[in-house]
Amino acid sequence: MQYIREDVWELGNDWAAPILWYARGVAAMKSRALAVPTSWRFYGAIHGIDRPLWKALGYLSAADPLPRSADVKRFWQQCQHGSWYFLPWHRGYLLAFEANIRDAVIKLGGPKDWALPYWNYFKPNQFKLPPAFASPNWPDGKGNNPLFVPQRYGPNSDGKVYVPVDQINLDAMSDPDFTGVSSGGSPGFGGIDTGFEHGGSTHGGIETQPHDWVHGLVGGENPKPPHLPGLMSDPDTAGLDPIFWLHHANIDRLWQVWRQNPLTDIDPTDANWLKGPGSVGERIFSMPMPGNVPWNYTPADMVDLAKLGYSYDDLSPATAGLIASLRLERLGASAAAANVTEGAPAMASGKNVELVGANRKALPISGDQVSTSVQLDAGMRNKVSASLAAAATSGTPDRVFLNLENVRGLSDATAFHVYVALPEGANPANYPDRLAGSIALFGVRKASLADGEHAGKGLTFVLEITKIVDALHLGNAFDVNTLDVRIVPTKPVPKRAKITIGRVSIFRQGG
Amino acid sequence: MTPAGLERLRIQAPVLSISAGAWILVAMEATGMALPAFCSTGALWTAPSASLDLVLALNPPGSLAAGWALMLAAMMAPLLIVPVRHIRDRCLPRGRARVVALFVAGYATSWMVAGAMLLALAIAMRLAVPRAWLPLSAAALPALVWQISPAKQICLNRCHLQPELAAFGLAADVDALHFGLTHGIWCVGSCWALMLLPLLVPHGHVATMAAVALWLFSERLERPTSPRWIWRGPGKAIRIVAARAGMRPRHR
Repeated sequence: MQYIREDVWELGNDWAAPILWYARGVAAMKSRALAVPTSWRFYGAIHGIDRPLWKALGYLSAADPLPRSADVKRFWQQCQHGSWYFLPWHRGYLLAFEANIRDAVIKLGGPKDWALPYWNYFKPNQFKLPPAFASPNWPDGKGNNPLFVPQRYGPNSDGKVYVPVDQINLDAMSDPDFTGVSSGGSPGFGGIDTGFEHGGSTHGGIETQPHDWVHGLVGGENPKPPHLPGLMSDPDTAGLDPIFWLHHANIDRLWQVWRQNPLTDIDPTDANWLKGPGSVGERIFSMPMPGNVPWNYTPADMVDLAKLGYSYDDLSPATAGLIASLRLERLGASAAAANVTEGAPAMASGKNVELVGANRKALPISGDQVSTSVQLDAGMRNKVSASLAAAATSGTPDRVFLNLENVRGLSDATAFHVYVALPEGANPANYPDRLAGSIALFGVRKASLADGEHAGKGLTFVLEITKIVDALHLGNAFDVNTLDVRIVPTKPVPKRAKITIGRVSIFRQGG
Repeated sequence: MTPAGLERLRIQAPVLSISAGAWILVAMEATGMALPAFCSTGALWTAPSASLDLVLALNPPGSLAAGWALMLAAMMAPLLIVPVRHIRDRCLPRGRARVVALFVAGYATSWMVAGAMLLALAIAMRLAVPRAWLPLSAAALPALVWQISPAKQICLNRCHLQPELAAFGLAADVDALHFGLTHGIWCVGSCWALMLLPLLVPHGHVATMAAVALWLFSERLERPTSPRWIWRGPGKAIRIVAARAGMRPRHR
């Protein structure tokens, strides 16, 4: 059987058959007790669970019989973030979830080829939450629509749920490497080489944008005290929101788009990736299938979508962020540009990652914007400049990355834009070319716990600022001692969120 | 090999080489191929009992300190792969050697101070309880209690912290030294009870050191977790070895 995942906004109407059957399947899973591995809440806990938070949000009570401890050990708290397993683990999670929904759909007399729709917020006029998820009612007007959750607050935490399209991007699609480094350079399209990582510190390219951003802004935060997060904002509650699955179907689709681009690289071929963390003695990836039968999988099982019986209705190429030939042209290296395959994305990452500069002290984030100065080391800055100046002969100028290190705080719903080298007093909105990227702090609360898996070191975000540095270099404006970095939150950050950036730094990656 | 794997290897190779060199010296001393000053911590038992003067005469403080330092280099260097990588990655290239040296100096300071206390305790136990295996037995019980305690987990968790570090000038040096000192303190907190055991064995000092070193290394492979009373053993290391040997992976 072949299953085709379709664009939720192009199904014909708000409650087209695939969505209606999805709702019925969700209702069936929600009707099962938490202790049943194929129940809705059990599946949410596979992604992550924080029992006090679940209780505060009304998803767990003292009366709930808990699952068998063997099931908890095997299945719960499995999601892979900040890891090169991010994409394959979530693909398996989607497949297993979909199989359970389909099982319920078939038992209710629905189509045997039902497949999960995806939400492509990048397409024109598709940025709003699909209407079937926004209404508390079924299409006949009766309440208890299982696709609706009240804990979805949107980017302004006012209940209006949408994805601000000017704040998301597909820059990661131009990264030629699936995996990268954690030392300040590119973490790659899919994330860095880790073991089983239930919430790693450094997120990969596609995970940072658009994945994290959509999570944080769709979920938002309850504006009323105690300001609990929206379900989507926190990894420990995200799987409880039915829109989660359509968002991840889109991320999975983008992986497939990236793989089908012959100009980008391919998935890792390292045994540790292919065989998964179980091959090195860590937890394996395992999901409860219909009938509560466990299904174990590895990334190698996930690489061939067609073999898995799946396809998407639209795999058209995404706009690449950094085109190698255009970059070389801009740098005056026309001859080198001519040697680059047309449309090829950013040139391969160099092996040397080196610190170029950093700010001097931790930066608390509160209010509507804050700034810091990144002091540049003269020697390293000159090294970058020399690399850019020599682009014509080398053909491989440095790539440059802004790092936000040790980001800690209490609110996963915090999101901000990061600008580099804005003129003093300038309105950031007038300088889109100085936007380094947009960050949503998905997972920050847990990463900040001293006795959590991160040991309190927080999250680290890596934003490529090659384009900005290129422009500064060409404008003779890179020969400076400091570069200003301005953080502009999407909405004012309250002090109670206790958001801090431990260090803002700039790294070069090249030969 | 992945880019991150190559970066790990860049640190692992020199650090493990240092550890291996120290182990060779320890082994040479144990087989009489080196000067007795090396790893003299194992020689506490060579002195007749009940005489502090004689113990110190046979094991002068300088010799004990050198032996302790060698023991640290052999046993603890592998535990420093992750923090050394962190500090090297996050500093300016021209300052790498200096900040790594400062980090190691801070770390060593913590352990040398702890070593003075542990050696004093070992000598005191040796003098108070002259029978060969009694001091070891007396130390084993608190080591076991510490091993399963929440306090040990807190120390282990703090050993995984990778703080932000200043990049320039004196602040960079101070941060590196401070990171080394604090990392060392948490490492002492995590390891002190087990490190006491090789000092108290009357025979098989090197073998005990090796066993404790493997145990400590495997503990550090585990992820930070909430502090509670629980048995902590080399489970993950055993699973890794088993997986490498082609045995079927388990769920945890």
